[in-house]
Amino acid sequence: MAEAILVPQVGQDLTEAKIVELHVKLGDKVKKGDLVAVVESEKASFEVEAFSEGVVISLPWKVGDVATVLEPLMHVGSEGEVVAATATAAPAAQVAAPAAVPALVVAAPVGAAPVGASVVAEPVRVAEPVAAVAGGRRASPIARRVAFDHNLSVERIAGTGPKGAVVLRDVEGAIASAPAAGSLELRTLQSGQGTPVVFLHGFGADLSSWRPLVARVGLGSPMMALDLPGHGASQRHVAADFAALVDAVGRTLRGMHGGVHLVGHSLGAAVAAALTERGDLDVRSLTLISPAGLGASVDGDFVDGFLSAKSEGALQAWMRRLVSDPASLAPVLVRATLAARDEAGLVPAQARVARGVFEGSTQLFNVAAALRAYRGPCTVIAGRDDAIVPLREIEAAVPAHVALHRLDRVGHLPQVEAADLVQTLIARTVRSAG
Amino acid sequence: MATRELMYREALREAIDEEMAANPTVFIIGEGIAERGGSYKVTEGLLAKYGPKRVRDTPIAEAGMIGVGVGAAIAGARPIVEILYVDFAMLGMDMIVNQAAKFRLMTGGDGRVPFIMRTQGGTGGGVAAQHSQSLEALFYHIPGLRVVMPSTPADAKGLLKYALRQEDPVMFLEHKHLYMTKGPVPDGEHVVPFGVGDIKREGSDVTVIAWSNMIPRTLEAAEALAAEGINVEVIDPRTLVPLDRDMIIRSVLKTRRCVIVQEANRRGGVASDIASIIQEECFYEMDAPVEIVAGMDIPVPFNLTLEKASVPQKEDVVAAVKRVLHLQSLAAAAE
Repeated sequence: MAEAILVPQVGQDLTEAKIVELHVKLGDKVKKGDLVAVVESEKASFEVEAFSEGVVISLPWKVGDVATVLEPLMHVGSEGEVVAATATAAPAAQVAAPAAVPALVVAAPVGAAPVGASVVAEPVRVAEPVAAVAGGRRASPIARRVAFDHNLSVERIAGTGPKGAVVLRDVEGAIASAPAAGSLELRTLQSGQGTPVVFLHGFGADLSSWRPLVARVGLGSPMMALDLPGHGASQRHVAADFAALVDAVGRTLRGMHGGVHLVGHSLGAAVAAALTERGDLDVRSLTLISPAGLGASVDGDFVDGFLSAKSEGALQAWMRRLVSDPASLAPVLVRATLAARDEAGLVPAQARVARGVFEGSTQLFNVAAALRAYRGPCTVIAGRDDAIVPLREIEAAVPAHVALHRLDRVGHLPQVEAADLVQTLIARTVRSAG
Repeated sequence: MATRELMYREALREAIDEEMAANPTVFIIGEGIAERGGSYKVTEGLLAKYGPKRVRDTPIAEAGMIGVGVGAAIAGARPIVEILYVDFAMLGMDMIVNQAAKFRLMTGGDGRVPFIMRTQGGTGGGVAAQHSQSLEALFYHIPGLRVVMPSTPADAKGLLKYALRQEDPVMFLEHKHLYMTKGPVPDGEHVVPFGVGDIKREGSDVTVIAWSNMIPRTLEAAEALAAEGINVEVIDPRTLVPLDRDMIIRSVLKTRRCVIVQEANRRGGVASDIASIIQEECFYEMDAPVEIVAGMDIPVPFNLTLEKASVPQKEDVVAAVKRVLHLQSLAAAAE
């Protein structure tokens, strides 16, 4: 079956990456580990490797294109195979390509000079050159500062100043119309119909970690995610302990009166379970992947080592503990995690969260009672080789009415090592809620 | 404090009268200031009271008058030299720029020059290019000079009394349009020190900085804007050198938006220099670029309609205030 090689997430919250090298063309044979492409963001370039053997059967990009991250860069399959159902994202990618091209050639002179004519080249006027060079929205200094203080980005605020500049009143309006104070930003990863499915990431990750999975769950529901306090775009939100984490997420989701399906991983799974106890949120189903909060133990060395790793090598060494098969840990995942740390303050923010929820190798919170009390459809997925949260403690705490799926040769990241099964189980759990 | 309504010119006369009475070294010279009482009636009655030695008419010879004044100041007197139009002060620029402004520094601080040049500038009534200039920027640029530009009778009196008590050369720049304006002046001793600005109108939305005749014009604009719910703060530095930077910075940090209004033409003007101070001190607190409303970079026209068009009017101030509030773009977006 054809498999997609995705455009890597090349940095925190970057949605596009430029393809600067392509080392294969349609029909080329590749094997695992082959360098197939190099993509770059504003900050760094990343090598993309093939992770399986096969033939390149689709390659919608050329060098210079700007691609959407976590969309297929190319598909690898068997000779003669056609990209079909597996490549739901491919048409979107092909649509995206031409749209991206004009942005790159906008500076090209329009209208060629007559052949042989001696013409002094006029400087070509490019629309909004200043904005293009600055690469961002115009905003007054005070608008930027107040937005920063309120954890808002001027890029996401509509400007009413000259030439669309964001001015103070726009930021004040955004603050006033923002959801209740202290709530997090809920982002839609995939739009759809019906009750939304909200994904809660684990410690040290962020919402972008769900993108590969979300694209393939195959549900028509809106797929949403948020960054937990101290993580990703919520880096500046402080949550002193587990209750504060749950509270921040609960406040964010409170407005969803039609109910919500929750999917959580690790710490995020514990938050999801705890949210079922809040009276103001109708949790329709619960899918808990490698849930924390069911036993007392956590791998404290991992938490410390993960936070203090500064080089790719060190981070990779710690992140290998997350998986059963070290080969399943894509180098791009390690690099993306490292790139996200370019954001000053991210590691200290995560360390603050860690101090609030873990003490050495002990989890300071427990959601077993919440799980026992929850009566909706609930699925727990855990790897037998989980080195971070031991399976035996999960087994001991999962009540009899909850389905527990124990996966062989899978570590703490079933959504990576057993992606297909996890997608199926999420879809099944959501559908079973009716 | 009890006050009286005085005209700007009466307030100036009181200051000169009180200081002449208190200090025998104060004297005044100028064209037509003794027998006629001055073209603007500032010195009326002083000849009879203090005699021709201290209130003296001069020939039409500005270079000589200014030279006499600077020399007398160096010798220990407190001269007031009245120059009919600031435009004519150009004849005495060497005495002002190279002598009066430099003497204190070049004598290691031993020699002081308490020389006061009273004169008037600005447009008013079609007196043409050689009688309508606002030349404060020339004096503002020269280290060693004090530049004073009162906008009200009270400020005119208080600042002139202070000028007669301090030790440095003062360019006391009045405005031909202001002599007949009236305002409350405090009874008794009223002295306004240099370097202390005045908030002429408190507000919260926009700071408008103006001086001299632009103050009444800006206050009219502020009234019109208040009717639209826009709350303008009008501040008057009163002395351009020394400049009350603290007052300007405090106000702009409060309102986050600033318009500077000067009658002088824009190029190389005091407004540009104040704008540079504001961007240095307040940039990260500002919601809009500083707007300068200034005269055109042309000789002031004789024709009254053109004269009016060449210097800031109330409507220009109103428009600039709306620009820094981004009201135009808001209105355009609403269409």
